Amino acid sequence: MKYLISSAIILACLAVAKYLTALFESSFPAPLLGMVLLLVLLLTGIVKEHHLKPTASPVLNYMPLFFIPAGVGIIEHLGLIAEHWPLLLTIFIVVPLTSVILIGSVIAYFKGRENDS
Amino acid sequence: MTASFWWLSVPLVIALFLALRFLNAKTHHAIAKALTNPVCWAIVLIAACLMIFKLPYAPFAEHTKVLSWLLEPAIVALALPLYQQFIHVKKNLLLILISCSLGVINATLVASIICALFAAPAELSASLASLSVTTPITLLVTDALGGIPSLAAAMVIFIGVLGAIFGNLIFSLINIQNAQAKGVAIGTACHAIGTASLITEQPKAGAFASVAMALSALLSALIVPLLYPAIQHLI
Repeated sequence: MKYLISSAIILACLAVAKYLTALFESSFPAPLLGMVLLLVLLLTGIVKEHHLKPTASPVLNYMPLFFIPAGVGIIEHLGLIAEHWPLLLTIFIVVPLTSVILIGSVIAYFKGRENDS
Repeated sequence: MTASFWWLSVPLVIALFLALRFLNAKTHHAIAKALTNPVCWAIVLIAACLMIFKLPYAPFAEHTKVLSWLLEPAIVALALPLYQQFIHVKKNLLLILISCSLGVINATLVASIICALFAAPAELSASLASLSVTTPITLLVTDALGGIPSLAAAMVIFIGVLGAIFGNLIFSLINIQNAQAKGVAIGTACHAIGTASLITEQPKAGAFASVAMALSALLSALIVPLLYPAIQHLI
């Protein structure tokens, strides 16, 4: 029964999100809207943590499994990667490096550079 | 092709993933954990198998649709850890929220500028616009932008491994040791793999990384689909 309830909540959020994105012909991904809807339900206390856990915990635990097939799709684009590897390599290094330095500096500005613990 | 062995795809993917995860759980060193990441190796090994045996991707995708379908409800379920993290950090929420947003915006902006400098085709720059977020979210956002989701996913996974290996070196170089600064930076820029490695090494920074990772999932979903077209318009 508890599995049924938690599954129903998750699927209902997904269904409402799909309906809304279709209604407004939005390109916004429906599962992300569903996630936001469910978060609002949790924050407002309409849905409680223990309502969700029975299904959400195992689903989240095995989530990596669900995107492996999509990841394997990379083999269809090896030509593109071979052609543009200098660009990909540059982005691979510069994007995380600039983000880490930016975020680290902003927080260190307010909280200090030293380890406060 | 009348190949009848494709039904094996799902059981084999599950078995391979569980075996890799089991091996990963046996490693204790933070960098070894990142280098043996089960998702990364599952994708590499399956891709290598398909290529070695000259098998096409389409039937594999077709027969593993069950797994891909489950990704949608799983993403909705991400609201739970997001909520759990939210109520943990009420005190620091504003600063973390602002720095996460800056990180997400920076990633999209910097990638777009580099793509423009390299005169990259539109499909490629759309694939590289959403890299400051956990893999399942990048798949959806990249798809919505008209990019190649699998390429974005591969970049995100490799960036996570990079962050797990070099994160500490960078913080030494820029002389930042504050747990909150480290955690939020790694959680936003290097997502799940960076966060997992931080948790094993420095639990306090790791806790902030979990919060930042959850927040950047939400922020990327909200910001990138609006920001990317705007930047493309300007460039």
